[in-house]
Amino acid sequence: MQDSYLIAGIAVAVFATYLTRAIPFIFFAKRKPSPLIRYIEWNMPLMIMVILVFYALKDVKWNQYPFGIAELIGVSIAILVHVKFNNALLSIIISTATYMFLIQKVFV
Amino acid sequence: MRFFSIFKLTIPVMMGYIPLGMAFGLLLSKMMIPWYYAFFMSTFIFAGSGQFLALTLFASQASILEIGIATFLLNLRHSFYGLSMVSTFKNFSWKKNYLIFGLTDETFALLKTSEIEERDKERVYLIITALNQSYWVIGSVIGAILGNVLPFNYKGIEFSLTALFVVLSIDLYKKSKLHKPFLIAIIIGLVGMLGFPSDKMLILSLSLAAAVLILFRRNLEDAR
Repeated sequence: MQDSYLIAGIAVAVFATYLTRAIPFIFFAKRKPSPLIRYIEWNMPLMIMVILVFYALKDVKWNQYPFGIAELIGVSIAILVHVKFNNALLSIIISTATYMFLIQKVFV
Repeated sequence: MRFFSIFKLTIPVMMGYIPLGMAFGLLLSKMMIPWYYAFFMSTFIFAGSGQFLALTLFASQASILEIGIATFLLNLRHSFYGLSMVSTFKNFSWKKNYLIFGLTDETFALLKTSEIEERDKERVYLIITALNQSYWVIGSVIGAILGNVLPFNYKGIEFSLTALFVVLSIDLYKKSKLHKPFLIAIIIGLVGMLGFPSDKMLILSLSLAAAVLILFRRNLEDAR
C-alpha cells in the first residue's frame, strides 16, 4: 500500500474524528441543539452500526461453497454470547475464534 | 484523587483496549502495513471502530473523500457525548482540547460515571483520558509488531471487526427508544450488501438511512 495514500487517509480520518468530537463545543456551547439534531444523534448511530455489520459482510460469496456459513455462525455466536453475558470483549473473542477455526479447519 | 485510585477506575477500559488494540494491530500488519502506522493511527485518530473502518476502507482502496465521510458518519455519535460535556468542560483550561480529542465511547462512559470533586475534575479527567489512550496505543503497537513475528495463522482475524459492529449494534439497540430505525437499517443493510456496488455500498446505504430517518421522522416517532 502506498505511503502517500495511507498518510492522506489517516490525516482525513484524524480530522473527521476530531470534528465529530469538537462539533458540540463549537456550535452548542451556548444554545441548545434543535430537536431534529437531537433526534438524528439519538437514532443514527444504531443505523450506522447495523449497516456496518452488512458492510463488513459485503464480500461474502453467498452463492458459492461454503455459502457464507462461517460468517452466519460467527455473527450468530456474537449475538448469542453478547445477549447472554453482555460482555463486548468476550463476544468478540469467542465469535472470532470460532470463525477463524471454521475457515481454517472446516471449510478449507 | 490519588493516581492509583484513578488508575483503578481505568482498569476495565484497559482490559478492553489492550486486546482490541492488539486485534487492530494484527489486522494492520496482516494487510502488510508497517507497524508504525498503528502507532500513528492510535495516537492521532484514537477511535476504535473508526480505525478498524479505516483499515477496511484502505483494503478496498476507498477514495480519500469516502474515508472522510464514512469516518465522520461513524463517529458522529461522539457529538452526542460532547453535547453533555459542554457545561462540564466550560471552565477548564486549554487542556480541554485533549479531553475533546480523547472523548471515545469508553472514556466518555468513565468520565460520566465517576464521582470527582469539582476542583479536581480537570486533572483527573486528563489522567483518565491519557491512561485510556496509552492502553489503546500500547495494544495496537504490540499487535502490529507481534503480527509479523509470531508464527500464528491469523486468517479470519478480521472477523473481529464484524463482531465488534454486531456487539455495538446490540448495545445501541438496547439503549434506543425507537425500534423501527433498527429494522429499517437491517433492510437497508441487506439490500446494500446484496444489491449495491461493493465500493459504494457504505456511502449509499448510510445516505439512504439518513434520508429515511429524516423524511419519515413523524411515522418513526409515532410508532414507538
